[in-house]
Amino acid sequence: MNKAYIFFLLCFILSPQAFGASNSVQLKPVLIDLGNKASLQRGAQIFFNNCSGCHTLQYHRYSKLVNDLSITETMVRSNLILTTQKSGEPTKLGSTITNSINHDSIKEAFGVVPPDLTLTARSRGPEWIYTFLTSFYEDNSRPMGVNNILYPNVNMPHVLWYKEGLKTYDENNQLILKVDGQLSQKEYEQEITDLVNFLTYVSEPAQLERYTIGFWVMIFLVFFAFITYLLKIEYWRDIK
Amino acid sequence: MSKFVAWIDQRLPVSKFVKNHLSEYYAPKNFNFFYFFGSLALFVFILQIITGIFLTINYKPDAASAFASVEYIMRDVEWGWLIRYMHSTGASFFFIIIYLHMLRALMYGSYKKPRELLWLFGMFIFVLLMAEAFMGYLLPWGQMSYWGAQVIISLFGAIPLIGESLALWIRGDYVISDATLNRFFAFHVIALPLLLFAVIYLHIAALHTVGSNNPDGVEIKANKNSDGTPVDGIPFHPYYTVKDIFGLAVFLTIFMFVVFFMPEFGGFFLEKDNFVPADPLKTPEHIVPVWYFTPFYAILRAVPDKLGGVIAMGLAIFVLFLMPWIDRCKVKSIRYRSSTYKILLASFVISFVGLGYIGMQAPTPILTALGRTFTLIYFAFFVVLYFTSKNEKTKPVPERVTMHE
Repeated sequence: MNKAYIFFLLCFILSPQAFGASNSVQLKPVLIDLGNKASLQRGAQIFFNNCSGCHTLQYHRYSKLVNDLSITETMVRSNLILTTQKSGEPTKLGSTITNSINHDSIKEAFGVVPPDLTLTARSRGPEWIYTFLTSFYEDNSRPMGVNNILYPNVNMPHVLWYKEGLKTYDENNQLILKVDGQLSQKEYEQEITDLVNFLTYVSEPAQLERYTIGFWVMIFLVFFAFITYLLKIEYWRDIK
Repeated sequence: MSKFVAWIDQRLPVSKFVKNHLSEYYAPKNFNFFYFFGSLALFVFILQIITGIFLTINYKPDAASAFASVEYIMRDVEWGWLIRYMHSTGASFFFIIIYLHMLRALMYGSYKKPRELLWLFGMFIFVLLMAEAFMGYLLPWGQMSYWGAQVIISLFGAIPLIGESLALWIRGDYVISDATLNRFFAFHVIALPLLLFAVIYLHIAALHTVGSNNPDGVEIKANKNSDGTPVDGIPFHPYYTVKDIFGLAVFLTIFMFVVFFMPEFGGFFLEKDNFVPADPLKTPEHIVPVWYFTPFYAILRAVPDKLGGVIAMGLAIFVLFLMPWIDRCKVKSIRYRSSTYKILLASFVISFVGLGYIGMQAPTPILTALGRTFTLIYFAFFVVLYFTSKNEKTKPVPERVTMHE
């Protein structure tokens, strides 16, 4: 075995894919494109209209959405800020994205406090969220009438069922659409992609800039390394 | 200008210092790739201190707000994400550099007479660095921070008689808590860096007393010109300063690539579970230390008994301190040593990397068996070396260093 082969072998053994958790449910791929502002905006819209009642983004601020999503302050105030302060005034633009759920009563209703979603795209991955939101099916034995393939016996109701419709298992153990939703399957998947795209942005807003800055830093460093190499050659000319 | 320098020199020996340690400090001219890592380690140490200072400006060592303060740095602090990624990536690269730096010493016998103290100081730096990294990892207060610390500190509980009290004393509480976070913060940002600074100073002072070894393991001071300078030595400045700047540029290119394009490094540098705030009531499915601890963690797990595992892990680190006395071969460089040594060192490196891999995995019967085999090889390296090195069949060592271009 030559050295290159061993190196290749090590690279393979040590590659992140080789460590993939052996979950029995295959995660579905989702195309994340943080450069697609329209998708991020649609994702934000879906989030605030459907999710924000229960789920917070407690480490993120409304004000960040203005620049990062290329929308106006007025739009954020009128369309995304749906909560008020204790005084009754609308929540300030610089606030973090929280809501007014009462932990005790929501625990009574759902059994758990809905988790904060700021970092879910980093802790579980975008594919996980995408798969989760496309894996609900009818199950009358559950309190909410639905169950989830990826997260069995999850306490969350299928909030987006009015968009997706309701899937159920037929006699051949295949998932089929039992009740139609407002959207076609394809449109629903697109909306979930937008939502996951938005949550991925929220999980690490720095991603919007780090690739661009990184590109220029790389160009500089390669050039710098080249110059220092020439300098080294020049200085070492007399060393035999 | 020269008047100013003279004024200073009368009061502080700056010129003499520069002469002794740079412009007239002679280093062997045949340094290869492995000799970049000393100066790189020093660079990363300084980088960690500087980025660390900026992080402490916004970080809050408080169990209730630590996690949120890290996210605050990542989002609301200007360039906070860059500083944080440089610090987190720097920690991992520090260990990559130190492991290669240590491998270099094993390859070229850099711990042998007269460099025993130099090696011992280096080992102290290594141990301090592990403590520094371990305590720093608790600070983000994520699930893996919390449970990793919980597992490691509970190991002290395995020590007979005093174990439980010792673990309690380290934590300051019965579980990892706010008290633990506060003291770890104190150790991470001031106590250990100060100690590190002192031992690094001693390490370099010892190095400059005996001079560097080199890939041929030839003492350059044995061959001197009429003016007393080593024939095979060249002034550190400008020769090695320009060479090390080039090395630094290449290093930075790789380092910044990771910082900008893959700061999590597939879960190796920043673990996924650490993006979930610490929850004392919810144990993660699979608790793994960060990659640079996994070789020793695998040795710990290889021994079925908890106390035995702790002893084996401690021994695995301690035995490295004894290298100058375990390796009794007079020839330093692997270039002129027997194939026995080459095979021994190769199997040691393979077992170390193998243990690192196994330490990251959930235990299975096959991996446990493999982990035990590698643990045996790890320790066998030192035992076999002790007995074979005394009368090792070596090749003739050249009088002068050799240059390979």
